[in-house]
Amino acid sequence: MNLTSLRLLNRSLDERQLTWAIRFLFGISILLIIALSYSYHKINEELIFYSERVDHTQQIMNTLEKTSSKFYQTVYHGRTYLLLRDEANKRAIHKHISDLDPLLNQLDSLITPPPLNKRVKELEATLDELYERTHIYWTDSTYTANRQDQEALLRDASVLIAEANRIMDDLSIAQTKLMHNRMQSRDNYKKQVFRYNWVIMLVALVFLTASFILLDRELRRNNLYRIELENKVENLNRSNNELEQFAYVASHDLQEPLRKIQSFSDRLLLKHRQQLKGDALIMLDKINDSAQRMQLLINDLLAFSRLVNPGDNAQEVDLNEILKEVKSNLSETIKERNVVIDSAYLPGLEAYPVQMIQLFQNLVSNSIKYSKPEVIPHITISYKLVGGSEIPNIKPAHKELQFHRIEFADNGIGFSPEYAEKIFVIFQRLHGRGEFEGTGIGLAICRRVISNHNGYIIAEGQEGKGAKFFIYLPIQPFIS
Amino acid sequence: MINQSILMADDDADDRFLVQAAFEDNNIPHHILFFEDGEQLLNHLSTTSGDNAPSFILLDLNMPKRDGREVLKVLKSDKQLRSIPIIIFSTSKAPDDVNSSYFLGANSYVVKPSSYEHLKDVIQKISDFWLNTAMIPS
Repeated sequence: MNLTSLRLLNRSLDERQLTWAIRFLFGISILLIIALSYSYHKINEELIFYSERVDHTQQIMNTLEKTSSKFYQTVYHGRTYLLLRDEANKRAIHKHISDLDPLLNQLDSLITPPPLNKRVKELEATLDELYERTHIYWTDSTYTANRQDQEALLRDASVLIAEANRIMDDLSIAQTKLMHNRMQSRDNYKKQVFRYNWVIMLVALVFLTASFILLDRELRRNNLYRIELENKVENLNRSNNELEQFAYVASHDLQEPLRKIQSFSDRLLLKHRQQLKGDALIMLDKINDSAQRMQLLINDLLAFSRLVNPGDNAQEVDLNEILKEVKSNLSETIKERNVVIDSAYLPGLEAYPVQMIQLFQNLVSNSIKYSKPEVIPHITISYKLVGGSEIPNIKPAHKELQFHRIEFADNGIGFSPEYAEKIFVIFQRLHGRGEFEGTGIGLAICRRVISNHNGYIIAEGQEGKGAKFFIYLPIQPFIS
Repeated sequence: MINQSILMADDDADDRFLVQAAFEDNNIPHHILFFEDGEQLLNHLSTTSGDNAPSFILLDLNMPKRDGREVLKVLKSDKQLRSIPIIIFSTSKAPDDVNSSYFLGANSYVVKPSSYEHLKDVIQKISDFWLNTAMIPS
């Protein structure tokens, strides 16, 4: 592994912190984008609103201009008609007056704010008054007035015309001002929209880049871990193969000389018993005993090493059936010692059936073997579903899993708590060979079986007060 | 001494000695010929005529040069020699060895006992069966 990858593996944040950092960054960037999008949307709405207002004002100004022009023409034709009294001008007056009405209505509906609307009404009133005062001239062609009346009318009309023109000017000035303000607001919002666009993009870019960098680092790191893991698996496979070779050597080559020792000492006894004196026979017996013991040890070692490679496939196993089979395997001993076995209803799980039998059989026969001579052996098997956090010294990765806990409790001779760990070591014995037979492989096999199933086994005991074995098997022992 | 012989191929001198002792202790009058590896056994068989075929052959599996499996294969594919009963006599208890031996045509498979008493008993039983109970080609 090179230096950069080593530095990469040496993380400054642990996995949990990193996950949270990535989640945090993503969350914040999404929130920011939502918030900014919302205010962007609001500003955009304002912009549209002001643009519409500008259009509206534009329309008012157009209408005002048209009204003012129509009015000017009406007045022009009116004056000319007064002088000439001709049909053409009369028609023109009628036409322009009928054109003015809808324009005034339009103005009334377009200009809604009360002060300005009032001015529109005033304009309408002024024009109405003007019409009232003058319409007799062009509606009744026979009507004639004396010079004095006509002059008075013209003077009054001039005042009204001036008034109407002033109102229209006022309105026009007001609208121009409005137009100016609204256009300025519109331009302001336009600028803001652009600014927001940029801010949104930058913020999103920064946060997303940060989380991408973190994710990318994590991916590369995972990749390195994978490579490391593959290397470890390869090493493990190699040592498993070596162990299998060792098992073969143990089964064949180591047993060969042993067989010879036994065979020759046998034959020596058979042929030369008469010639051998007392202690020579004892020594020969000792040679035989040792050879037999060596044979047992080698056989047990082999049995243990075969557990490294499970061989058969894991399948759904009913532990009640396993216990039944174990009871029948041990039926002779159970009958002989009147052993009582009380068992709760046990679960089913995916397991190697042969290994489960080995496990149960070793635990049950262990309890029988280490029972008190004068007491009937009583084995209680109980079951509970527990969380991984209840198991002492559990691997952190297993804490979240659920486990079957099967407890084997007996009323035997027990053991001192300080040996709770030692009893699982291969060929470790707490008693002399004179007291109890066996090589001390049983519990080592149990632990091996349990670790093959990714579980835990824990012993609890007190001298003279029985032993308890807790088996923890994950509900799903195998990932697949 | 009876005409028909018994052959044994085993690279282990101690085993040859013990088997011979077991035959003697069981008072079996047959002449026993020992070979140290498969090649010696095959050489011997190729020089003897059909009339002098052995009663049976005790064949060890793990031997130098040509091992028991090879010898078994050669013998069982030879028109004349295939009828000689072959008893595999090995320390191996491995199911693989047992199965493949029978597959190659071995007539029986016996694991070498680990005590002399037991060995004597096994030799007695083998001889009883192949010399007195079963009919073999003559």
